[in-house]
Amino acid sequence: MCNITKESVYDAISNVIDPEVGFNLVEMGLIYDAIIDDECNVKVVMTLSTRGCPLHQMLTQWVKDAVEIRVDGVKDVEIEVVWEPEWNISMADDNVKKALGAI
Amino acid sequence: MFSISKDYAPPFKMIAPFFIIGSIFFFLATVALLFMDPILGHFDPHIAGWVHLYLLGFVMIIIFGAMAQLIPVVVEVGHYSVDLYYVIWPIMLIGTILMVIGFWWISALLPYGGLLVLTSMLIYLYDTLMTLKRVKNITLTVKTAVAANLFLTTGIVVGFIMTLAIGAGVNIDISWWLGTHAILVLGGYVVLTIIGLSLILLPMFGLAHGFDETSINRAFNLMVGGVILHLFSTLIGFSFGRLVALLIIFVSIGFYINQVWLIYKVRARKENDIWARSMFFGYGSLVVAMLLSIISLIFDVESILLSAVWFLVMGFVTFLITGHLYKIIPFLVWFERFSPLVGKERVPMLNEMYPKKMADFEFILSATGVIIAGIGILIKWNDLYYGGVALLIGGAGFMLVSVKWMLEFGKKRKEEK
Repeated sequence: MCNITKESVYDAISNVIDPEVGFNLVEMGLIYDAIIDDECNVKVVMTLSTRGCPLHQMLTQWVKDAVEIRVDGVKDVEIEVVWEPEWNISMADDNVKKALGAI
Repeated sequence: MFSISKDYAPPFKMIAPFFIIGSIFFFLATVALLFMDPILGHFDPHIAGWVHLYLLGFVMIIIFGAMAQLIPVVVEVGHYSVDLYYVIWPIMLIGTILMVIGFWWISALLPYGGLLVLTSMLIYLYDTLMTLKRVKNITLTVKTAVAANLFLTTGIVVGFIMTLAIGAGVNIDISWWLGTHAILVLGGYVVLTIIGLSLILLPMFGLAHGFDETSINRAFNLMVGGVILHLFSTLIGFSFGRLVALLIIFVSIGFYINQVWLIYKVRARKENDIWARSMFFGYGSLVVAMLLSIISLIFDVESILLSAVWFLVMGFVTFLITGHLYKIIPFLVWFERFSPLVGKERVPMLNEMYPKKMADFEFILSATGVIIAGIGILIKWNDLYYGGVALLIGGAGFMLVSVKWMLEFGKKRKEEK
């Protein structure tokens, strides 16, 4: 049985900031799910704000590193980038929407 | 600790010269405008020299530098041979200088300059086309990149033959081919490249999603059709075909403007930073240029046509390029100097990495200059034109200093470490 919680994975990822907009990936709503199995292997399902993002490789690497380094007891970390559902601003937290002028 | 893949980001020292040279040539091109008489016809060698100073030294070299970074990003594969970019800019730089000297003072140098420019562009095209060959996901951006590069190849071959006609006595009708050379390079390459990239960059920086892409697909098809029709009409001496081609290109740009409007309407990021303001002015200038072009077709007044070209070149093309420099250069600098520090210490955000005051001055002076000089050309008031150009020189000066500021951001800190 694994003690890692979804919240601890999200907390770790909230340290990863997109330098273009200045918000972390969790409050941007880019992290869709964190699946933790009994062996403490973690699979993060995420998206990016745009398909042609030049930070694509870096962001996914930072998410992987953040989980590996900041979550105790984690074994393998896998990152899956998905494009469905397509990200939109309604998925972001209110503080992000407000700062960007979306509300 | 935090490992970073560099597949999509070429080395900073490879790309920086493109932006430095481009900014210097932009400044030189605005200064050279002081020595231009706006009523000179477009066949005048002084105008031709200025066009090549601006188009090769500023527009092309910045596009090439930006492409070194953007091509892998937008087509999602790495460069075929990114090291070729180390030789592209020196050859292009010498070729451009020789061509400008050739147009302004020593026409015998034109073929040599033309040959060097042709060589540098063929190297660029070789890498780009070989890179595109490896792409599996054929998007509209990939299609525009392929079409734009094929048009560029044709355009520079036509241009090189024209330099042989001027400098080495090859017998072709330069005035007949000039229009096609301009359509191939400006419409077929510069505008088509902007169309393709804007489908990626405008939604990316504006955080726009869920818009219909029919308009931009029509813009692409019509632009390709228009440029090909113009080329074949020129080859067979068919004037009416050239006119129809121009109309098709106008309609294409109309669809493109509509697409930009659709993206703008759904953008989530509403803050009007220097990039957004530059885009507003650039696309506004494109609309003005289109309207003036249509009026000039109806009334056949040369000053209206010249002012349309002015707003297209100095308003649209210039502001789209300068606006994106405030995004591209900070990203490259950030990637080089700060990305290895992510997770270890606080790293700056990209919007902290350009000089806001200087950028504001650049925008205000340049925009005012473009409008005033454009009106001067339209109403044939030379003093107004020169007044506008003086403001534009100030704007270009601030752009040059801003580029230096951005390129040096964090440099001392890195050296100290």
